[in-house]
Amino acid sequence: MHWVNWAIVIGWLAYVAIDGLRRAKGTKNIEGYFLASRSLPWWAVGLSVMATQLSAVTMIGTTGQGAVDGMRFVQFYFGLPIAMVILGVTLVPFLHGAKVFTAYEFLERRFDAKTRSLTAFLFLLSRGMSCGTILAAPAIVFSAIFGWPLAWCVAIMGVPTVLYTMIGGVQAVTWADVKQMALIVVAIVSMVTVLLFRIPVSPGAALHIAGAAGRVRAFDFSFNLTDTYTFWSGIIGGTFLMLSYFGTDQSQVQRYLTARSVDEARSSLLISAYWKIPLQAMILLIGVLVFVFYLFQAPPLLFNPAHERSVREAQPAQFAALEARYGAALSERQGAARVVASASDAGGDAERAAGVAFRTRDSVVTAIRDDALNLAHETTGQPSRDVNYIIPRFVIEQLPLGLAGLFIAGVMAAAMSAIAAELNSLATSTVIDFYRRWVRPEASDRHFLNVSKGATAFWGLFASVVAAYAGTLGSLIEVVNRFGSFFYGSILGVFLLAMIPSARALGAFVGLIAGMSAVAWVNFGAPQVSFLWHNVVGAVTVVGVGLVVGMFGRPTPQRQPVQGQQG
Amino acid sequence: MTNPAPAPASGPSRFRQTLIRVMTVQVLTLIALWLLQRHFTA
Repeated sequence: MHWVNWAIVIGWLAYVAIDGLRRAKGTKNIEGYFLASRSLPWWAVGLSVMATQLSAVTMIGTTGQGAVDGMRFVQFYFGLPIAMVILGVTLVPFLHGAKVFTAYEFLERRFDAKTRSLTAFLFLLSRGMSCGTILAAPAIVFSAIFGWPLAWCVAIMGVPTVLYTMIGGVQAVTWADVKQMALIVVAIVSMVTVLLFRIPVSPGAALHIAGAAGRVRAFDFSFNLTDTYTFWSGIIGGTFLMLSYFGTDQSQVQRYLTARSVDEARSSLLISAYWKIPLQAMILLIGVLVFVFYLFQAPPLLFNPAHERSVREAQPAQFAALEARYGAALSERQGAARVVASASDAGGDAERAAGVAFRTRDSVVTAIRDDALNLAHETTGQPSRDVNYIIPRFVIEQLPLGLAGLFIAGVMAAAMSAIAAELNSLATSTVIDFYRRWVRPEASDRHFLNVSKGATAFWGLFASVVAAYAGTLGSLIEVVNRFGSFFYGSILGVFLLAMIPSARALGAFVGLIAGMSAVAWVNFGAPQVSFLWHNVVGAVTVVGVGLVVGMFGRPTPQRQPVQGQQG
Repeated sequence: MTNPAPAPASGPSRFRQTLIRVMTVQVLTLIALWLLQRHFTA
C-alpha cells in the first residue's frame, strides 16, 4: 500500500488515541468513568451506540456478503426499529429511573443477588469472548493482506483502544465513537462514488446486471426456520435479538444510562436505529457494486492472498489449470453481462433471456471458484471461504490514492469503537456486579476508579489473547456467535419477567436456567434452525417457566438499594 | 420583525419527534428497497 495511505491510517489512529487521552481530564470519579456523570448529549450517545454496532466485521464482512449474496442480508435488521420503540417505552424508563450502573444491578433490586450474578456472569463470559473475535476478524484479514504477523495486527488496533478506554472511560469512548462514525460514513460514501465512476456501464445497467444475478433481492417472504435471512426471521427473530442486545447487554445499556434524562436516553436509543437499515443497505450495495465491477475487471481466483500463495506453491499445475478455466469463464460471463446491460433498455423477453444466459455463465464461474476454494482448504488445512477478503483486496488494488487509506482507517475505526465500548462495559460489570458487590463494598471512589482501570486493562489483554489465537482456532467466531445466542434470549426473558408484577425471584432463576436448556436443546437437537429463532425460544421459555414456578415461590420482598447504589 | 428561532424540543415531545423521524426514514428505506427489487429483478 502507498505511503500516503499509511500516513492516513497512522494519523487517524494517533488522533483518536490522543484525543481520547485528552478527554480523561474530566474523569475523576467512578460515575464519571462509567457514566460520564450522566451528562452526555443525546446525539453523541446515539452516534456512539451506532458506532459500537458497526464493527469491522460489518465493514468487510457485510460488504463481502453483499458481493456474494446480494441485498437480502438487510432483512436481518428489520426488527430493529420495532425493538427500539418497545424498549423506549418499557425497559429504558425502568433502567434509567433505577439509577443503576449496570442492567444486572436492577435485577438484584427486583429479584435477588443470585439472579443478578448469574446474568452478569453470562454477560462477561459471552462478551469477553466476542470482544476478542471482533478484534480478530479484521486482524486476520490485515495479516493475510499485508503479510504481517497476526499479533502485530491485533496490537495496532488493540493498544490505542485499550489506552484511551482505560484512561478516559466512557467519556473518551463516546467522543471517539462520534469521530469514528463520521469517518465510517465518509469512507462508505466515497467508495460508492468511486465504484459508480469505475464501472463501465451506467448505474441503471449495473443494477439490471446485479438484478439478473439476484443480488438486489432485499425481500424474501418465504417462511423457513432454517433460513436466517427472510422477512419473517428478520421481523420476529430479529426483534427478539435486538430487544436482547439493546435492552439487556451492558455494552449497549451503558450507552443510554449516560444520558441526562429518561427522554434523552429514549431519544438516543432511537437515534441509533435512525440510519441502521439505510446504512446497512448502503454497505450491502457497495458489495453488490463490487460484484458488478468484477464482471468487467478480472477478479482473483482466490481473494485471500496468503491462500493464493500457498496453493500456487503447493499445487502449481492444478492451480494453473483452474486459472485457465477461470479466465475463459470470466470472459464469457463478461460478454453475457454486456448483453444484459444492452437488453435492459429493451425490457420484456429479451431482458429475461439475457438474464437466464448470464446466470448460466455466472454459475460456471462460481463452480470454478468453489473448486479453487476446496483446493485451498485441502492445501492449507484452514477454512477457505474468502468472503471477508473481497473488499480489502478490492480497496488496496483498485481504489485511488488516499481512499484506500481512508477505508482501512474506517475499518480500524469500526473495530476500535466496537471494542472500546465492550471493554468499558466489561469493566463496569466486573467492578459493580462482582468486585463492589462481593469483595470490597465499602472502598473509596478513588479505589474503585483504579480497580476499574485495572479491569479495563485485564479485559483488553484477555481480548487480545483470544484474538491472537482466533486465527489458529479456525471456527472460533462461529462458536462464539452460537455460544452468545445461548444466552441472549434467556437474559431478555429475565428482564421481561422483571416487568411483570407477579413474577418472583425463584421463578426468574429457574426460568433463566430453563431458557438456556431449551435453547441448548434446539441448538443440538435441531441444528438446522437458524440462530435468530433461539432468542425467541429462550425469552418465551424463561417467561413461561418463570411465571409458573413463581406461583409456588414466596413473594419477592421490596428491596432496599444494594450496597453502594444511589437512589 | 423576524420570528424567534424555535426552542429545541425537550422531554416527551423530543421523543415523539425522534420516533416519527426514525419511522419515516425506515419506511422510506423499505419502500426504496422494494422499488429497487421490483424494477431491477427480472
